[in-house]
Amino acid sequence: MKYAYYTSCINESMTKELDKALYLWNKEFGIELVRMEESTCCGGSNMEFVDPELFLVNNARNIAFAERMGLDLVTTCNTCTLGLLEAKHRLDHSEKARQMVNKYLQSEGLEYKGTRKVTHLLWVLNEEYGLDKVREKVTHPLEGVKIAPFYGCHILRPSALMGKRDNPYAPASLDLLIQALGGETVEYKSKNKCCGFHTLLVAEEESLQISANALQDGLDAGADFIVTPCPLCHTAMDAYQPKALNERQDKRRIPVLHLSQMVGLALGYSRHQLGIDKHVVTKPVAV
Amino acid sequence: MEERRELTFKVQCFNPEVDDKPSWRSYNVELEKGITILRAINHIKDKLDPSLTMRFFCQAGICGSCAVKVNGVSKLACTTQVWDEIATCNVEGVIEVAPLKNFKILRDLVVDIDPMIQKLRNHKAWTVPDLPAEELGIKEHAVSPEEFEVINPATDCILCASCYSECSLSEVSAQYISPLVMLKVYRMQADKRDTLNEERLQIAVQDGGIWDCTHCYRCVEACVKNIPIMDAIQGLRHESLRRKMDFTEGARHALAFEEDIESTGRLVEITLLPRTLGPLGALKQIPFALGMAKAGRVPPLFPHKSKDHGNLKRMIKQLRKDQADNANQGS
Repeated sequence: MKYAYYTSCINESMTKELDKALYLWNKEFGIELVRMEESTCCGGSNMEFVDPELFLVNNARNIAFAERMGLDLVTTCNTCTLGLLEAKHRLDHSEKARQMVNKYLQSEGLEYKGTRKVTHLLWVLNEEYGLDKVREKVTHPLEGVKIAPFYGCHILRPSALMGKRDNPYAPASLDLLIQALGGETVEYKSKNKCCGFHTLLVAEEESLQISANALQDGLDAGADFIVTPCPLCHTAMDAYQPKALNERQDKRRIPVLHLSQMVGLALGYSRHQLGIDKHVVTKPVAV
Repeated sequence: MEERRELTFKVQCFNPEVDDKPSWRSYNVELEKGITILRAINHIKDKLDPSLTMRFFCQAGICGSCAVKVNGVSKLACTTQVWDEIATCNVEGVIEVAPLKNFKILRDLVVDIDPMIQKLRNHKAWTVPDLPAEELGIKEHAVSPEEFEVINPATDCILCASCYSECSLSEVSAQYISPLVMLKVYRMQADKRDTLNEERLQIAVQDGGIWDCTHCYRCVEACVKNIPIMDAIQGLRHESLRRKMDFTEGARHALAFEEDIESTGRLVEITLLPRTLGPLGALKQIPFALGMAKAGRVPPLFPHKSKDHGNLKRMIKQLRKDQADNANQGS
């Protein structure tokens, strides 16, 4: 299996360990990732309204690179997935929009045709790769480990853009992956809720409360760690965790892992190799 | 033969005159397929518990008064089929009905929507036409189909408050504008007959306004009329930027993405904080930044530039030129 791997800005800066962990096992799984060095920022769920035309041209160009490579495009960030899917949806449903973007793309010898999929690593593992094959690869099953899946918004909503995948009110794909790795899923109300990331710099107090709600929910449910398929959720819930929980005089701590790190654990890689010791919260703290 | 089955309705009840806090009451009922949640609740009220209180009026999905949470999701009781909810039960055969979230409970399933109405007032969620008062209702004020299309989806809103109940920000802030108020503000400000544009937008961009939305799309998912509420929120943000109302942190944050896509192709995170918060705001974040640095979590000083980024830069330059030409032709 071969994919064009879309470069998410945050994975080159705040969450480098996500890729570090992924590159440890993707070849072992037979998933080849061709890094898209030309790809540009998806717009971080802002460009849609800053300049809707530039949003389309920029993301049409991103997808057109994958089309030229003859590969489906895969991301490891929910918000990148949404931005690219949103652009793809608009382009695939409007001849006028395709003409508009292609007018600019042709200067680089590119054309948006709509021939390639935009997908997320979580979806690839569930759908194309298959959880049975994941199960076969596991050498160190996460037996007895209680894991709270945190999906993040932009892989669930708006569900109309996400294809016939998870029910946004009762998602299952990440739960199933945890189980395939031998782990025990923890049921808690926050699994399909928001992490607060997108307003962290704009409405920090409110964002920290949103993140604290989810963290405390996971802690109360007795999870050993939270896992998320989105590096932005990771940032809100790991980097900002001390700030969010301190506001509530809660001294407990819970590690938040990237999906790529959780898979790595089940393959026997060490916490150090997976970069888990690079997180802000590196181990659980119970009070 | 009609399909019937026994079900349990677990309803969250609260009478502020006697109860300290809400509690769940269970009612066992035998219902036939085709019945709605509202009819089931009324059946319980008729046969089992006359004290059970709920607000409803039209019973046809038009008035928006009967929204409640069914199995955890906010929706209209009158258009929700009991049989459709059986699959979403946490416990087999037990349907949970609770009042909307993010409001004060007046009694059982009835919440106090006054704060929401007050927000609509504060945000001037009505049109202010340019006709003098004496001509209103007499002189025609035509709106073309094309002009109406812009606000058409937003006019479907029945103020049922399902989005208000599901909103992530409203859960943590009682002051926050809320999705439906933004939708109404958009609907009014995009109306060709309206004359209040800038004044209404000035209120909308204040603290707790349109820039505090955290893009979780829960409102879009919950809307009982399938209104793309996020389009309205984005529409308001777009309009405020078009009018150069770029003095808020939210606006500066959004503009930083445009700046970086143009300059390097990738987000320049190292300067995102001061660009969003301004120099003074950034100073307050120094302790947090130092904590991050200690953990080794710092963005690169010199961010990666996308390969062949010059090509995108040229496209953007041409796009800007075309946009300016179109604007000149339009004016």
